[in-house]
Amino acid sequence: MTDHIVKSFDQELMELGRKIAEMGGIAETMLSDATLALEKGDTDLAQEVIATDPRLDALEREIEDKAILVIARRQPMAVDLRAVISSIRIASDLERIGDLAKNVAKRVVAIEGQFPPQKIVGGVSHMSELALDRLKRVIDAYTQRDVPAAKDVWAHDEEIDQLHNSLFRELLTYMMEDPRNIGFCAHLLFCAKNIERVGDHATNIAETIHYLVTGETITSERPRSSTAVRIADVNG
Amino acid sequence: MALTEAQLAKYRRRARGGRIRMALSLGATLVGLTALALILGALVSKGIAGLNLAVFTETTPPPGSTGGLLNPIVGSVLMTLIAVAIGTPLGILAGTWLAEYGAHSKLAGVIRFINDILLSAPSIVIGLFIYELMVRPVGRFSALAGAVALSVIVIPVVLRTTEDMLRLVPTQLREAAFALGMPRSLVIRRVVYKAASTGMVTGVLLAVARISGETAPLLFTALNNQFFNADLTQPTASLPVVIFQFAMSPYKQWQDLAWAGALLITFTVLALSVFARALSSRTK
Amino acid sequence: MPATERREKVSVRDLRFFYGDNLALKNISLPLYEKHITAFIGPSGCGKSTLLRVLNRMYDLYPRQRAEGEVLLDGENILTPGQDLNLLRAKIGMVFQKPTPFPMSIYDNIAFGIRLYEDIPKSEMDGRVEEALRGAALWNEVKDKLGASGLSLSGGQQQRLCIARSVAIRPEVILFDEPCSALDPISTAKIEELMDELKEEYTIAIVTHSMQQAARVSEYTAFMYLGELIEFGETSKIFTTPADQRTQDYITGRFG
Repeated sequence: MTDHIVKSFDQELMELGRKIAEMGGIAETMLSDATLALEKGDTDLAQEVIATDPRLDALEREIEDKAILVIARRQPMAVDLRAVISSIRIASDLERIGDLAKNVAKRVVAIEGQFPPQKIVGGVSHMSELALDRLKRVIDAYTQRDVPAAKDVWAHDEEIDQLHNSLFRELLTYMMEDPRNIGFCAHLLFCAKNIERVGDHATNIAETIHYLVTGETITSERPRSSTAVRIADVNG
Repeated sequence: MALTEAQLAKYRRRARGGRIRMALSLGATLVGLTALALILGALVSKGIAGLNLAVFTETTPPPGSTGGLLNPIVGSVLMTLIAVAIGTPLGILAGTWLAEYGAHSKLAGVIRFINDILLSAPSIVIGLFIYELMVRPVGRFSALAGAVALSVIVIPVVLRTTEDMLRLVPTQLREAAFALGMPRSLVIRRVVYKAASTGMVTGVLLAVARISGETAPLLFTALNNQFFNADLTQPTASLPVVIFQFAMSPYKQWQDLAWAGALLITFTVLALSVFARALSSRTK
Repeated sequence: MPATERREKVSVRDLRFFYGDNLALKNISLPLYEKHITAFIGPSGCGKSTLLRVLNRMYDLYPRQRAEGEVLLDGENILTPGQDLNLLRAKIGMVFQKPTPFPMSIYDNIAFGIRLYEDIPKSEMDGRVEEALRGAALWNEVKDKLGASGLSLSGGQQQRLCIARSVAIRPEVILFDEPCSALDPISTAKIEELMDELKEEYTIAIVTHSMQQAARVSEYTAFMYLGELIEFGETSKIFTTPADQRTQDYITGRFG
């Protein structure tokens, strides 16, 4: 894309992009740290994640303010208008992802002292890896304005959903086996749910990127996962 | 910006030059104004002496007796009016054609060129021309011939100002009129003339000012008349010619009347010019 | 939003326009939909004003300008030599960049155009003048000074007077040639509101340098560049997702 005649307009749009990338970086770190804290039962790391969230919130507000200022001052059209609107939307998705990571971290603090079986924790962290991977790819797709990459993220949501589905069943079995497991199992269930939601936000961002570049919303039907997930949705 | 010493020096040189040129211009203006003041002063002091009611009520006297300027005043006014009556419509029509119809045609170029020549033609030549055309064939000088000679001077002035004034009317105003589905003749008469009216009136006033002092064309056409005369086919007195004749004479009364007449013409022309200026400045 | 039913009031087909030997419009084809506003945008010299001046054959006033192709008004080609231009221009009104009130009273500015075609008694004329001034949202401001010169009004009022003058002779199409470029934002807003009302009855075309204005007032937009029609479409599409890169570059301010 060629530059604007007014250079400061370019700078403002670039600034918005930079802030989104920064938010993306923070959200990624929060999620991976929260997962690590869950694996290791590291409450200090969990507290750190919780303490990072306000920074993400502040960044979101900053992006919103700047975006509104750009609209007011430049009256952007077409691709520029979409860039500004997209930055608001993506910032909101990233802020939600930060909240979800913070929730996972809070659960780590809550289950301190209990020792859930590594197999289940491994399942949750595997889900988290998948979600992180999608998050990274979608942020890259945003900075590159890469529609195929965004579409790829958007189309492959079912992996996380399936994993979430099987984790759900497994945790159910644990809880039925021994009522003493119910406490941490419930926490883990929510952790899994939160991570699954991170995936949903990554999908949102992918849709936004598609809109940003092409001006159209993705219309084709996305592959949906099985009905068991719906049960999990209801519970979550 | 911060100026260096060299830049400042250059600036000062230029400022000094500017002051010198300003002083020279002022000086030139003063010289011109002084000359004008002297002329007006002489006119007023000598003219006032000869100016009295009799100037407007009595006809020109024979040598050695007293009288007035009634017949040349009436003659001048009459011939000027007729000249304007003939010259203005022709000038306006021609100017309108040049500005609105012919604008870029070859013919328009030729007409403009001829008009410019006419505008600067020596008035004595115009007098001779009308003499050949209207005096020699009938063998008699007449007010009509004088008026026609003056009208030949009026036409190029009115033509030029009309064309210029019409050209000053914004194209968009014309187009706006056309956009309503107005035929061209109506656009010109109802919209363009209206917008240019004060300018065009100014042009006519300037033409009147110009001809009211003309002597040469009248010498060959209307000549002069010692008596009051309102018959257009007879020789007729006019202020410029009478001034010319009386001023050259050795008689004191005639000379005084010449000064009074000169004063009258000068102030009439001055008043017309001022009025024309006021009119044209009011439009903008 | 475009109405479900739309009819082509004016159809420009394969229009070519020459200033002398200079080709200023290159095979333009586009419709003006009835009772809709179509905006023409593009950089200076792109031919948008020229196109507008073809639509009421204003170019005919000048030598060495000619048009080829077809401009159909209700199916009839207005470019044919036999056209009565005065009648055509009565059907296709025009409002100019600078307000152009005639040097006469407010009342006469309106009545003048009506008198060209109709002989009506004074009382009826009063009604028509009022109707036109109301139509141009000017009545309340001038009803007590109808005898005052049209030139005594403010710029925005003058422009609305010109619109009233156009509307008074009941045209079918009104062409606006940068009608707000000499006006302040408030006057501009009033003209835009007025256009919005006028499109209930008239087919409107507007040339504007303000893309925001085009986006605000029009349902269809044509982007022209170097005498070519680059893109024509619904305004909502042109200003959000233009199909052509040049359109995109122009409306986002990226033109080199």
